Amino acid sequence: MRRFRSVAVAATVAALTATSLAACGGDGDDSGANVLKLWHYESANSAMGIAWDRAIEIFKDEHPGVEVRFERKAFEQIQQNAGMIINSAEGPDIMEYNKGNATAGLLSSQGLLTDLTAEATERGWDKALSPSLQTTAKYDNGVMGSGNWYGVPNYGEYVMVYYNKELFTEHGVTVPTTLAEMTAAMDTFVAKGVTPLGMSGAEYPAGQLFYQLALSRADRTFVNDYQLYANPVDFKADPLRYGAQTFAEWVGKGYIAKDSASLKAEDMGTSFISGKVPMIVSGSWWYGRFKSEISYDWDSFLFPGNTMHAGSSGNLWVVPETSKAKNLAYDFIDITMRPEIQALIGNNGGVPVAGDPAAISDEKDRKLIENFNTISGQDGLAFYPDWPVPGYYDVLVSGFQGLINQSRSPEQVLDAIAKPYQDGVAEITRD
Amino acid sequence: MAVPDTVAARPGATPSPPTGRTPRRPRRPDAGYWLYLLPGAALFLLVIGGPLVYTGYLSLTKWSGVGDPSFIGLDNYRTLLTDDVFWTSFTNTIAMIVAMVVLPTLIGLVLAAVLFDTIGRRFRPRTAAALRAAFYLPQVLPVVVAGIVWGWILRPDGALNGLLDAIGLGTLSHDWLGDPDTALPMVMAVMIWVQLGYPVVVFMAALERVNPELYEAAEIDGAGWWRRFRAITLPQIRPETFVVGLTCTIAAMKVFGPIYALTRGGPENATNVPSYFAYFTFFKRLNVGYGSAISMVLTLIIVVVAVLFIRAQNRAERRDGGI
Repeated sequence: MRRFRSVAVAATVAALTATSLAACGGDGDDSGANVLKLWHYESANSAMGIAWDRAIEIFKDEHPGVEVRFERKAFEQIQQNAGMIINSAEGPDIMEYNKGNATAGLLSSQGLLTDLTAEATERGWDKALSPSLQTTAKYDNGVMGSGNWYGVPNYGEYVMVYYNKELFTEHGVTVPTTLAEMTAAMDTFVAKGVTPLGMSGAEYPAGQLFYQLALSRADRTFVNDYQLYANPVDFKADPLRYGAQTFAEWVGKGYIAKDSASLKAEDMGTSFISGKVPMIVSGSWWYGRFKSEISYDWDSFLFPGNTMHAGSSGNLWVVPETSKAKNLAYDFIDITMRPEIQALIGNNGGVPVAGDPAAISDEKDRKLIENFNTISGQDGLAFYPDWPVPGYYDVLVSGFQGLINQSRSPEQVLDAIAKPYQDGVAEITRD
Repeated sequence: MAVPDTVAARPGATPSPPTGRTPRRPRRPDAGYWLYLLPGAALFLLVIGGPLVYTGYLSLTKWSGVGDPSFIGLDNYRTLLTDDVFWTSFTNTIAMIVAMVVLPTLIGLVLAAVLFDTIGRRFRPRTAAALRAAFYLPQVLPVVVAGIVWGWILRPDGALNGLLDAIGLGTLSHDWLGDPDTALPMVMAVMIWVQLGYPVVVFMAALERVNPELYEAAEIDGAGWWRRFRAITLPQIRPETFVVGLTCTIAAMKVFGPIYALTRGGPENATNVPSYFAYFTFFKRLNVGYGSAISMVLTLIIVVVAVLFIRAQNRAERRDGGI
């Protein structure tokens, strides 16, 4: 028994010592580091996955003697455990992480992410990214939009209208350039018994359509009020009132199927891929997949009449404060910003943040990037409707399911989504 | 299963010879026995006791999951009292108890009795066993898989609507899981399908130990199936009924997987339940303190229900023992 006790005490002391030593990790000079632990959650065949595989190769060539320990993680795995992961000595030296107040903002406010401001200036990342792209990179006490750099995005995304060219031709519909033309086009489809707009009420597309409609009446001031809490937002006034009322009107007129409340985004995507619906309003993340899976003639256009569009930078490269190879991590980020890697993203159906359209060989890909550059250039990235407060995504889903089902009026939905927003903002801005 | 109150003397125990002295109080169990309890106790503390105490502490804090929790006393519990979603989730728990306990137990009782008393006698026992296995099959499927499959069936373009179209009832087609009026009844129907096999198997096993002479005697006396079911089957398998009732009630109160797979608590919170609400609050809203408070209330209610069940079972057994 005594021997058992001695062993237990020794094991406990050893464990505590190891923990204490590990807790010291990340301090001091890391210029001699010869390992870079890198985690991200992009699939191997996605535009970003392909580009970052190449970036890792370049990094290895330029850093002989440095071992890159890459681990591909699941999005949810990082989303739910990032705080614990990077607060431990077992975390990576550089990691892809979700942009926004509830994620990168939260960790930055707890001192868990490295301040990258000096590197961003020195290496020119601040010049490569437009102001609206920098919004997600900077956080001030956890709130995005200003303050220090805690992450670097190197791809972008935005919401657009995808359309089936063959169905447009078949029904004599031309590509709309204003919202009025868009409704006229949808009226044509409805008159011929075709539901014009694919939808999924159980996930993000409904909220994004509502936001696109609201943005048709919005400007940067509204976006800053709504997303960055610059001023209180009145949900009973335009643009949000217009967004909810128009959404309900579109359901009533049959532009959106009334039985789409339980559908997932995947259902909407596959419905478009199979040619069942003429249009969907969704993000550039579908682009690569549509290119490879759609057999008919399709294209995209920006949501007609809008100067503001749902969209943002992609997720961020962050460097945990516990990283033992910070300088190597900065080198890696720098490589991903190079024209070669940016072009690789663009040529595989992604949206590079510092991409030169001339370097993109495919016409469709070039148009995707040109549209993004147009939006980004006019400061038109308005982020996403669920960003302002944690858990708001499900609030919006629930609200717009009510509109699709026609079980709730636009006013009731606006009330239902206003309170969690106001409570959440009060919570975030209280500290 | 039932333990009689009057426990017989241990086999081999012999009465102590009279000593003429005042009888000593029964000896406390040997201290050595405690050693055998240690692994279980340590595991309990590690897996249940510790996390429970920590969750209780977190429920008194405001915490986003990183940094230090700040102590706010009973604020989370006060907020819970006026939280409509919390009350909706508990109202839905009653529906889950109906779907996972009441109906499967009632239907399971009748099915087990029919399989045992009628099918098992008139056909080969193998027929009853095959049917029993068929009823039990949904229990073998991972619940998330069952949820996804039922999600396909109930989609707007799913098999159920396809079937309705095929038999000329296309006007009844519906977005079954997307409409707040039909989502909860559909989830309940799926849960009845999932749960039914469990009571059937338990009750059939219970019926195996019932003395067949009781049934034969009852039949000779002219008792019909219903009379035999009420007078013999029900009283004989009462202990198993309590076990099924208790375990299924606990399962219904903490149901999570099917809700996650089928509806994520929607539409419009129509199928939200406390476990999903706690998960959502904890991981999605990053309100760890509030999520912990929901979990603590749920745990407390489950413990109270479990104690009430066990007491009722003990009372019934005492009553039976006294007959």
